[in-house]
Amino acid sequence: MKNWPWLILTPAIIFVLIGLFAPFLMTHDPTVQDYKAILSPASWSHWLGTDYLGRDMYSRIIGGARTSLVAMVFVLLAALVIGVVIGSFAGYVGGRTELVLISIIDIALALPSLIIALALIGVFSGASWSWMSDYWKMIIALTLAWWANYARMSRAVVVAELQQPYIEAARVMGASHMWIFTKHILPHVLGLVVVYASADAGALVLAIATLSFLGLGVAPPTPEWGQMLVDGMSYIEEFPSLVIIPGLALTAVVVSFNLLGEAFALQKVPKAVRGGLLRRKKATRAAEETARAATEAKV
Amino acid sequence: MNAPVYAVENLVIDLYTPSVSVRAVDGASFHVSPGETLAIVGESGSGKTVMTLGPLGLMPEGVAVDLRGTARADGRDILTLSPSELSALRGGFFGVIFQDPMSALNPMLKIGPQLASQAQKYAGLSAEAARKEAVSLLARSGIPDPEDRYDRYPHELSGGMLQRAMIALALAARPRVLIADEPTTALDATVQAQILALIRTIQKEDGIAVVLITHDIGAVSVLADRVIVLYAGQIAEEGTAIQVLTAPVHPYTRGLLASVPDFRSESATGTKEIPGIPPNQAQLMPGCRFADRCDMVQATCHSHRPRLQTVGLGDVPHRVACPVVIAAEGIVTHD
Repeated sequence: MKNWPWLILTPAIIFVLIGLFAPFLMTHDPTVQDYKAILSPASWSHWLGTDYLGRDMYSRIIGGARTSLVAMVFVLLAALVIGVVIGSFAGYVGGRTELVLISIIDIALALPSLIIALALIGVFSGASWSWMSDYWKMIIALTLAWWANYARMSRAVVVAELQQPYIEAARVMGASHMWIFTKHILPHVLGLVVVYASADAGALVLAIATLSFLGLGVAPPTPEWGQMLVDGMSYIEEFPSLVIIPGLALTAVVVSFNLLGEAFALQKVPKAVRGGLLRRKKATRAAEETARAATEAKV
Repeated sequence: MNAPVYAVENLVIDLYTPSVSVRAVDGASFHVSPGETLAIVGESGSGKTVMTLGPLGLMPEGVAVDLRGTARADGRDILTLSPSELSALRGGFFGVIFQDPMSALNPMLKIGPQLASQAQKYAGLSAEAARKEAVSLLARSGIPDPEDRYDRYPHELSGGMLQRAMIALALAARPRVLIADEPTTALDATVQAQILALIRTIQKEDGIAVVLITHDIGAVSVLADRVIVLYAGQIAEEGTAIQVLTAPVHPYTRGLLASVPDFRSESATGTKEIPGIPPNQAQLMPGCRFADRCDMVQATCHSHRPRLQTVGLGDVPHRVACPVVIAAEGIVTHD
């Protein structure tokens, strides 16, 4: 995490900031159609031009960031909580309960999460689920498709940490299960899971866009990057920017979150001083050496 | 005295991390000859391990290292060798026994094959001969029923047995210099004595040079021919074990020996501690590193770096870096 990798995290940080402050950043209502300005090029009034319905592309990109960010945060938090609870419980309790829970986790892991999400959205499309908006259907489906990895990791950490002598020591000192779990085991679980989640965020943004692209996620006219890709597809030859702009936004965010996860993972490994910093430190040391020699020579 | 097999001259080791620059070793020299045991004594952080293993390229991860001086072994200055040449020297020319045998052996592999592969690589034996060699090394290290232990995993053996296996492993490549980095720290008192006896036996039989890194004065008295007392990266005193242990001159050595509990002493005041803590090695302070804790300190100690002076007339020089004691007690020097 020295110097340059921070720069690579800029898209992730910008993404979060834009998502948070979207209402203040938008110049137009992203859902308002302006038939007098359909497919107009970039101008002072429409910074990135307009789409086939005359909606402001810039405002839609900003709005899309908010849609993705909110959905991503909900899914990630829910999947993390569900995964950590189920996984830790399985690992801590052990025995038959663990076996049953592991089987469920394994089944969930065996199926690609996007397929699970698609199937669940299919189920939710039934009449008895009509009280739920498409947006929440997507979030719940993705959560149910996403928790298994966190459960698997949590269980592995719990099982490994339970073997450690300090757990035995805590038990000897009369610590309750709740104390041992929350004070001694949970920090290890969260440490790993949060690092994984930071890299996972990119994959999730992509999954949200994929579902919307397939018409199963966020319903129009809510601005969403996957949706914008579909809308722009028909005009790709004449107006490639309609596809390129949301595509670039998506790519930048996914790459950035992956690097964020990697940076977290690498931060624990101490890195040796190199290059200019090392040369400066050596020079400082050499100067100190000379100063010491001078002091000692005076006597 | 034979020519030294491992001789380090004026070694300076600087360690750089993003936050601090530490002078781990500050101009220390030592050498060890075949059949000789050199003990390097000092408290935690005094640089004993870095001084001995540093020239071999065994350094902590994530730290930039700057080594200066010379370190001659196998007729070469090993500080100038490439990483691959150095790697060939480790394990082959140098054998190392680490402090914690439980974590120094791979828990996923059986003990025997770990030894055999070492023997195969460095002693150039065939697979079959390497197996025989491994079994005989285990037997030689005092492991009962070596044929059976060959196929055991590390967790199936006790700490003492594992340390024997570690010694066998270090010997598998037939090293000329055996470096034992606190080999008995993780072991029971009774097992410690056995391990020390084993190291001594093997050394006498093979005529290898042993460098014993320790803070255990008992181990020094059992094993060592010569002793170097290291304080904050500088040598305070060196000489034969008898000279240093029975007639210490440097105030630090005296303090160190006075702080060893004597089971025969009846009063609770039988041991004396040295007040204060070791100096911050991130700063290059002029003068004697021990000055702040020394009860014989004088004004010059803070500005004048003590030179090692020879105080005895034996075959092996007894050298002390403390002009104050030498002057105060009228000790004759022979430089």
